[in-house]
Amino acid sequence: MSKGAELKSEDLAGLFKGLLENKVVDCLVLPRRAGEGGKNVSYILVRDASKIDSAGAGTAAGVSASAVFAPSFSVNAANILKGWTIGEKVGLVAKPCEIRAAVELVKLKQMDKESVLLVSADCSGAFTNQDYAANADEIGDWLEAGPGGAKAEELKGKGVAVREACEICENRLADEAGADIALVRANGGDGDGGKVVVAGLTERGVEALSALELPLEEKDIERAGEKAKIAEAARKKRESLPTASSVQELEEFLRDCIVCKNCRDLCPVCYCKECFFEQPLGNPVGGDLLNLAALRGAVGVPTNQLMYHLTRVYHVSATCVGCGACEDACPKDIPLTRFYPVVTAKVQEIFNYTPGKEVEEPIPFTAYEEEELEEKLR
Amino acid sequence: MGEEVREKEEFEPKIVGFTCNWCTYAAADLAGTSRKKYPPNSRIIRLMCSGRLDPMFVLKVLLNGADGAFFSGCHPGECHYIKGNFYARRRIAALRTILKQFGLDNRFKSYWISASEGEKFAKTMKELSEEIKKLGPNPLRGEIL
Ligand code: SF4
Ligand code: SF4
Ligand code: FES
Repeated sequence: MSKGAELKSEDLAGLFKGLLENKVVDCLVLPRRAGEGGKNVSYILVRDASKIDSAGAGTAAGVSASAVFAPSFSVNAANILKGWTIGEKVGLVAKPCEIRAAVELVKLKQMDKESVLLVSADCSGAFTNQDYAANADEIGDWLEAGPGGAKAEELKGKGVAVREACEICENRLADEAGADIALVRANGGDGDGGKVVVAGLTERGVEALSALELPLEEKDIERAGEKAKIAEAARKKRESLPTASSVQELEEFLRDCIVCKNCRDLCPVCYCKECFFEQPLGNPVGGDLLNLAALRGAVGVPTNQLMYHLTRVYHVSATCVGCGACEDACPKDIPLTRFYPVVTAKVQEIFNYTPGKEVEEPIPFTAYEEEELEEKLR
Repeated sequence: MGEEVREKEEFEPKIVGFTCNWCTYAAADLAGTSRKKYPPNSRIIRLMCSGRLDPMFVLKVLLNGADGAFFSGCHPGECHYIKGNFYARRRIAALRTILKQFGLDNRFKSYWISASEGEKFAKTMKELSEEIKKLGPNPLRGEIL
């Protein structure tokens, strides 16, 4: 049971305005609808509450339930707030994978825990934002039955597919992320007459909602059956994805990679300020490059294709939230979801760790048991 | 001795070892001074503690064509710096999980060998060398990466 209130979906904009007006937060990052017919869903950072409007009237942004729950993924919004270590409070309204990334960033000290209020919204699985914008009329405000459902399959037949990362995501419901507040889509949450349950998951979350003088009552948002069903289907899908199983296959998989490192830059949990692959050894030029070639007579350029990805997959092995932002970012259309989330899931499994789910649970590499894992060493 | 065995014996693997200064490095020394015989395939790189083992080191030597790699440090609970090897163990477990996906895990092993275990060191090196010989050369050895 959580403390929450039921809102009409058109009141969601008012909730966000309230967070700003009551100074619960100094600013908000949230999704809005923009462009021709409001078909494009992207993020804005708002300071002035008057810039929020459910219909997007005048110069205000169209922030509504239909933007918050839209099956559209542009960036992992946690990436925008990476490095938010200032005192000003920011509220982040986003999908569970984005909130989970934010939680990992808090643990990694790349985001100040006291400065962020995390608001997680139910997700039905998403299309890339460009696919969504191009097919918004058909897709609608919510993907009924999620990836693999009738609607998704029908669209797939037309070449419009749900992101693979979403198909394999086991944590699509709002309260499966370590958020302060969950936005639960109840009773067809977007259209007319739709309802959204706003629930505080942490003390801070409940305080924030109390500040808005919402009539809070006990709400059951557990939905255990639904969660289990989603997780089971997602796991099956993940296990069925073709994944390189030898280093030669991995080379083949990465053949077109130009080592632009866009996948790193858009990954919310890849955060080193001095990435090895920007250093002379990782990104050799001139004499260093020549030396590398001397080692074997010839070297592939750009260098370090395999080394880069194997290192990166190790670096994010505990914290990858499987958002697929890396795949979306790749200019060479390498299906990175078949690498990063799939491989890291195996590492997370040995530590029984789901990144971003529990704020208090330490990242496996920062903790240990005195007796463990011996069978994994030899 | 069969022809097949002889052929395999011609392959002398290159193995890169990362060992902790306070235990296994000393064990290697002890093995040497007490004239324990073990195959000369391993090149040892000394670390000050297990905790210094960056998994990138292992990736790098394997991608650069080493036929095998190993790591060895103080027994859990006996780290000179108290908990370096506890953290290392988690990193190694993660690294080996990744290597396993791509069929490379059998080329990287880890051990705990204390300073007094010269005998164990020699024995371990012998076994490792045999194992890597059986696997044959690292397929990445001649490749342009
Ligand atoms: S590696 Fe890819 S899927 Fe994993 S968190 Fe980073 S961007 Fe998301
Ligand atoms: S974004 Fe694509 S091309 Fe660029 S480094 Fe990543 S995998 Fe390679
Ligand atoms: S000092 Fe040997 S493992 Fe830490």
